[in-house]
Amino acid sequence: MKLYAYCVTEELPAGSVDSMPGIDGAQSFLIQSGNLAAVVSAVDVERIDVTREHVLGHERVVRGLLSMTTPLPFRFGTVVDEPELRSYLESHHSSILSQLERVRGCVEMSVKVIWDLERIKREASEMEEAEDPHGQHQATNQSGTAFLAAKKREIEGASLLKERGEAVATWLMECLGDSVRDAVMNVQPSQPLVLAAAHLVERGQLEEYRAALGSAREARNELHFLTSGPWPPYSFTNINS
Amino acid sequence: MADEALELLEENELSLLETLDHVLNRGLVIAGEITISVADVDLIFLGLNVLLSSVESAQEAFGKRGARSVIDDLNRDK
Repeated sequence: MKLYAYCVTEELPAGSVDSMPGIDGAQSFLIQSGNLAAVVSAVDVERIDVTREHVLGHERVVRGLLSMTTPLPFRFGTVVDEPELRSYLESHHSSILSQLERVRGCVEMSVKVIWDLERIKREASEMEEAEDPHGQHQATNQSGTAFLAAKKREIEGASLLKERGEAVATWLMECLGDSVRDAVMNVQPSQPLVLAAAHLVERGQLEEYRAALGSAREARNELHFLTSGPWPPYSFTNINS
Repeated sequence: MADEALELLEENELSLLETLDHVLNRGLVIAGEITISVADVDLIFLGLNVLLSSVESAQEAFGKRGARSVIDDLNRDK
């Protein structure tokens, strides 16, 4: 029998997940290993298709656990047999425990920031013109000098975008201050969606976090924010396999 | 990007995209046992940027009708 693995938690009372239907409606149950427990359900296939129902089934179980503890989710599609799962839990025992310690009592909050990329590019171009008012860089010949000048402008433009993108990430972290215990940030300055941030927030700090985020949004109305959460701490499961 | 379009994204698509991003792209991996791979693809960036582009294109194409009626049309076509 194969097992579909949803998440790992600290030890849970037997029967804690009996009422949580998992992938394809299969009943969830616990595999206890020392003071750790993996939440699983039985599957009769080696591979779980990526369908809306399956993805939502995975999320439903992990989210259900979030109401009673702080789970470390497995990535979607983790199908193992029981000896493999037990071996994983035993060989990664200390790193899983320290990761659970890191996220205990916390939830993940997600913030995506969208900026007006075309406007930022225009500003970069205007700055460049201000620095080169005589337009010397706009040589029309195809000389090596003109080529190198164009290359230099391209690199400088990308560098300015990168700076601006990183400044958004730094600014947001400063705004959120102590309400965030940890953060994972992905900055993509060449895209409209410039920043995807996951914030690890203690449950007791959620009100403070939301207030700080609200103030940040009001302060920068040229940016658009997409927020969601609370999530199980999916982005804070960095255990080396 | 018009706020109207972004608000529609939030209503219609963000929740599912966020779920996909979290569930498919993150979480513990038991080496060798993951049966799907989306490594090196950040789904939320991929998905949202595609959506942002498609909504912008739709707005350009449909002009003054606005994003709401365009998305209503798209939903009717499904």
